[in-house]
Amino acid sequence: MSIDLEIYRADAKAWLETKAMEFGHAARRGLSEEEDLTLGRRWQAEKFAAGYSAINWSKEHGGQGLGALEKLAFEQEEMKHSFPNDYFGVSLGMPVPIMLRYVKGDWARERATKALKGEEIWCQLFSEPAAGSDLAGLRTRADRDDAAGDWIINGQKLWTTWAQYADYGVIVARSDPTVAKHRGLTYFWVNMKSPGVTVRPVRLAEGRSEVNEVFFDDVRIADSQRLGSVGGGFGVAMETLMIERYQATDPAGFGPPIDLFVEEAKTIRIGGKSAIEDGRVRERIARTYAAQSALAAIHRRALLSLAAGMQPGPEGSVHKLVSVRTRQKLSEFAMDLKGVDGMRYDEDKTRKESWSKSWMTAPTGRIAGGADEMLLNTIAEKILGLPQDHRPDKGVAFNDFPR
Amino acid sequence: MSILYDDAQQAIGGEAVRILADRTRSETLKALLETTGRYDMRFWETCKEQGWTAVGIPEVFGGIGLGLVELGLIAEAIGQVAGGAPFLGTGHGVAQAILRYGSDALKERWLPTLASGETIGAVAFAEGADMLPSEPALRLTHGRLVGAKPAVCAGAVAQVALVLASGKQGPVLALVELAGDGVTRNMVHTFDNSRCTADLHFDGVEASVLTGEGALLAARAVLELQAVVTAHEQVGGAEAMLGKARDYAMDRRAFGQLIGGFQSVKHRIAEGYVLVELARANAIHAAASEGEADFGRHAAAARLSATEAYDSVSRDATQVHGGIGVTWEADLHLHQRRARTLAIENGPALFWEDALVDYLVEEAA
Repeated sequence: MSIDLEIYRADAKAWLETKAMEFGHAARRGLSEEEDLTLGRRWQAEKFAAGYSAINWSKEHGGQGLGALEKLAFEQEEMKHSFPNDYFGVSLGMPVPIMLRYVKGDWARERATKALKGEEIWCQLFSEPAAGSDLAGLRTRADRDDAAGDWIINGQKLWTTWAQYADYGVIVARSDPTVAKHRGLTYFWVNMKSPGVTVRPVRLAEGRSEVNEVFFDDVRIADSQRLGSVGGGFGVAMETLMIERYQATDPAGFGPPIDLFVEEAKTIRIGGKSAIEDGRVRERIARTYAAQSALAAIHRRALLSLAAGMQPGPEGSVHKLVSVRTRQKLSEFAMDLKGVDGMRYDEDKTRKESWSKSWMTAPTGRIAGGADEMLLNTIAEKILGLPQDHRPDKGVAFNDFPR
Repeated sequence: MSILYDDAQQAIGGEAVRILADRTRSETLKALLETTGRYDMRFWETCKEQGWTAVGIPEVFGGIGLGLVELGLIAEAIGQVAGGAPFLGTGHGVAQAILRYGSDALKERWLPTLASGETIGAVAFAEGADMLPSEPALRLTHGRLVGAKPAVCAGAVAQVALVLASGKQGPVLALVELAGDGVTRNMVHTFDNSRCTADLHFDGVEASVLTGEGALLAARAVLELQAVVTAHEQVGGAEAMLGKARDYAMDRRAFGQLIGGFQSVKHRIAEGYVLVELARANAIHAAASEGEADFGRHAAAARLSATEAYDSVSRDATQVHGGIGVTWEADLHLHQRRARTLAIENGPALFWEDALVDYLVEEAA
């Protein structure tokens, strides 16, 4: 690691520590989601003022013009305090950057600044009830009003994170159902306050509602809101997904750290003995540690590659797959280990502090952002060169395929 | 620290892979399986000629003064071809023990020939299920060893062995020459005979004490160094089996398509890739942290991941091959055997799990 980067990290760390009391986990305890969001907007404004809210964006767009490594260093330090930044992750991660690539001028710059300050939030309207992993299977329509030159959007999106708070969104819709499914899509930005947009939060199994279903009923948008060519929407969607390539990762899969498990195993007693003496417990600790330490080593090497100006290798693709699976299993085991106490569910604790909360939210982690099965397909096809799955819809016009 | 290999290190690894692919024959390895006490001479000549035996030994003793990272890369290449002799790993253990704990005379006596590969070293700590017995049954009295060590890897042909024995004040680490009177070697028939495994019996054989006090810790340190070499060898083997599974899945057709197109098969292979990459990451990280305070923890993690990877991937590769995979000709059994041998030889998973948890609990305390 370079010395400059270490200094950058140390400065960030020191600054974050001065803010932890006001914005960190303790400050957030007991807040309603709205209150937490308000705190989050203030936190975002503080970061913007201090030059930490768009570290790797160009200066033209309100960023610092630094690299992915500085951004990662900051995020790794920020993650330690549980600041209320969840609401802005999607917004600043993909929709705003892709908008900035295609839309030029004052309007775009103003949106970017407001998003960076937490004043506005963007969402990403990709998934649908019938199109999750198979993104190109989406059915939301974008029909051209030839007289006005506008587009009319109709359909339903699903799993749209933070749509209930979003001011704007980016959306992919089907503009031509008579061609093969990948070719008939077009990409737009949309004002979420437009007439005809209805957002309904979806309550997830664990009780939270950070995702939504969003209905579009004759929502009219201008052709100037189109990003990319007509029919080129799938390509823009892929470009969007490629933007956030290097994110701060957590080998514990954003669940409790293994140290917490070790600490608890030392106090819990099984059959009159400390659980840490139990072979089953020891095996679980050792196996989990080995997997997590490997992920950390892979991540460190990826950072070293980046620092050396190289592209990290494909092994980074194992991270989400292994970390969340491992977290799910360890959480299950930790709950078993506590016996009847394992049933307690503390709403106030985060999923990094509570095994039951970690366990309740782990299934979401194994599905959202690429299900385990999709990740395995990616590894098999893209890295190992194994054949693609049988795809009977390939080359067939969207309309001609039975659904 | 974790590392990116530099150009020189990559060249060492690449050269080792190339040379070994050229000079190893599965027919030779299979012939060795049917006898005891024999190894692949051509393979060992290659190790000597390439200077691989000298890695990890300082130049002043005839070595080339490189470290675990370089030795790891060579071991990985050896793992890929299921190399026909175990001496590189055991030799490293013996040499490092002498370097760290031996007298100048012992260093002069053994290190140059260990570096040249003339001397073959064996490491004999385990007694049955106990990898590091705190009260070894092998006894050292008045400088002489009495007792036995079971199933010592390389024991059939080594000239010198590093043993853990019970001394007057507790365990001692000692070096014993195996050529002299009073040493009996009984070949052990294993499922992987080229490891030259033998039961060693000592009947009043002279030995040099390396350490008395702290012998168990010293033995553990030697085991950890060897563990990282072994982990690399396991990664190489696992990678070779992953490649065989992949290639077969890309070649064999059933029900009108390549079997690699079936998700049950492709996901099995993709899971293998995941295991290999985790194991590789831990192995490299462990090698790079030699000499650091948390080396033991990384070595244990490396061994656990590597054992899981090699066992799983070779098991699954055989499954992907179907019937042909279980034949003598298909060569898969060479890796299947080696995967289990390496899993046990340098301490089974149970041992490393305990070691790792002990480190974690100690650090948390």
